[in-house]
Amino acid sequence: MAASAHQLRIDLTVNGTVHGIDIDPRTTLLDLLRETLDLTGTKKGCNHGQCGACTVHVNGKRVLACLTLAALCDGADVRTIEGVGTPEKLHPLQDAFIAHDGFQCGYCTSGQIMSALAALEEPWGPDDAAIKEAMSGNICRCGAYPNIVAAVQEVRKSAEGGRNA
Amino acid sequence: MLPYYHSYTNDMEVDLAFERPDNLELALDALKTRAFRVIAGGTDVFPAVQQGQLPSAFLDVTRIAGLGGITRGDGTTRIGAATTWTDIVRAELPAAFDGLKEAAREVGSVQIQNAGTIAGNLCNASPAADGVPPLLALDARVEIASAARGTRVLALSQFIQGVRKTTLAEDELVTAVLIPDQALGTRSAFEKLGSRRYLVISICMTAANILLDAQGRIAQARVAVGSCSAVAQRLPALEADLLGKRLQDVTVSTAHLSPLSPIDDVRGSGTYRLDAAQEQCKRAILRAGAV
Ligand SMILES: Cc1cc2nc3c(=O)[nH]c(=O)nc-3n(C[C@H](O)[C@H](O)[C@H](O)COP(=O)(O)OP(=O)(O)OC[C@H]3O[C@@H](n4cnc5c(N)ncnc54)[C@H](O)[C@@H]3O)c2cc1C
Ligand code: FES
Ligand code: FES
Repeated sequence: MAASAHQLRIDLTVNGTVHGIDIDPRTTLLDLLRETLDLTGTKKGCNHGQCGACTVHVNGKRVLACLTLAALCDGADVRTIEGVGTPEKLHPLQDAFIAHDGFQCGYCTSGQIMSALAALEEPWGPDDAAIKEAMSGNICRCGAYPNIVAAVQEVRKSAEGGRNA
Repeated sequence: MLPYYHSYTNDMEVDLAFERPDNLELALDALKTRAFRVIAGGTDVFPAVQQGQLPSAFLDVTRIAGLGGITRGDGTTRIGAATTWTDIVRAELPAAFDGLKEAAREVGSVQIQNAGTIAGNLCNASPAADGVPPLLALDARVEIASAARGTRVLALSQFIQGVRKTTLAEDELVTAVLIPDQALGTRSAFEKLGSRRYLVISICMTAANILLDAQGRIAQARVAVGSCSAVAQRLPALEADLLGKRLQDVTVSTAHLSPLSPIDDVRGSGTYRLDAAQEQCKRAILRAGAV
């Protein structure tokens, strides 16, 4: 499909809602989410792929929205933190982050949670070292790392328990 | 004005083009017509051009049929150009590919590995590209296609010519990385040194492919070091000296490292890099050789 104009039409699903949007082909997914769709839960930390604050799921895989061209997401299914739990009914991982003090300022947290949600579906081992590797793309300037690992472990173990029950 | 939040302005009259071909023929035809910035995972393209103006014409190769995925047969393992590092980590491959898999797990973070591709790593031609040493140690070749000249295949060592420099012409795409079947029993390992454990650019990295004979002597050795020269280098003198040796007798001398010419930069001095390379060679060889 070719487009030789200032605007490019893309269709994408974000948290279950279908959007048809005209974009500048150079727009990143991060700017599209935050500026056009007003989904500001996804954070812009470095804008260079180095911090993980902008982690979202595209077609079930976690990627960095700041390094993803929105145009590459035509037809894609995107999930952001807004699609995970609600203030009234938090996702178990969100509960676990609160229970384990998995954040201080909270700026990295939506990225941490999107990353951890994906990691829990990926083939990682059960030990802390595996979780640390799986989560190594998400930097936390407040240094909540041990508590983040504990939160992820809690959810992993209860999911495992559920599977074995 | 919110220049930080609005990364790109579009107040100039530029002819923007965005091509997302689903087959190779269409992609190669498009490349004949105008200059495109080829984009796969975008993890190298983006940081490089984000500061200034993004190019006005993109060609996305990730939808081209047959460009992603790994197939084996005819004495070759074919890794499609758009195969991601995550695909490589998860693929079922012989032990000779363990070094490549270890390198794949070191490319940035999982988010980067989910998007970043093998061809993107090679075409970007960074001296610190983690994919290059293990692919050199596997004797990899690069398959290239263009509409005008069809397909050509050349050794990876010839494909990358310098810092950010490859032999790729404007109208060409990399279509696959081809790896000849390795002798049965070949094993490999990858060592990376960065200023921290994860998400870090290599100060020095080394890959070794080792085959032992029935007596435990090294029957075949290929060792390559990256981030210590403009383009990662095999170490032929070391490889020759390893033949016939038992693992416990392996030594790596500074003379073995003569193909390397490391520079001093923010990440480390040349002397430090040579020290690291010497130690990494030994570690990679011993780990690859260990049963
Ligand atoms: C935060 C961060 C950390 C990183 N860490 C590492 C690391 O630790 N180790 C490492 O090696 N790399 C690292 N990288 C670099 C990058 O992620 C890898 O090199 C990756 O493999 C690039 O693949 P890509 O598909 O994203 O390439 P792109 O960005 O899509 O493309 C890179 C270049 O290759 C060209 N290209 C891509 N595919 C083709 C093709 N089929 N034919 C012709 N040209 C093509 C593009 O035009 C471009 O010039 C990092 C990047 C970031 C942002
Ligand atoms: S904002 Fe995307 S990784 Fe930092
Ligand atoms: S909670 Fe502040 S950066 Fe992680």
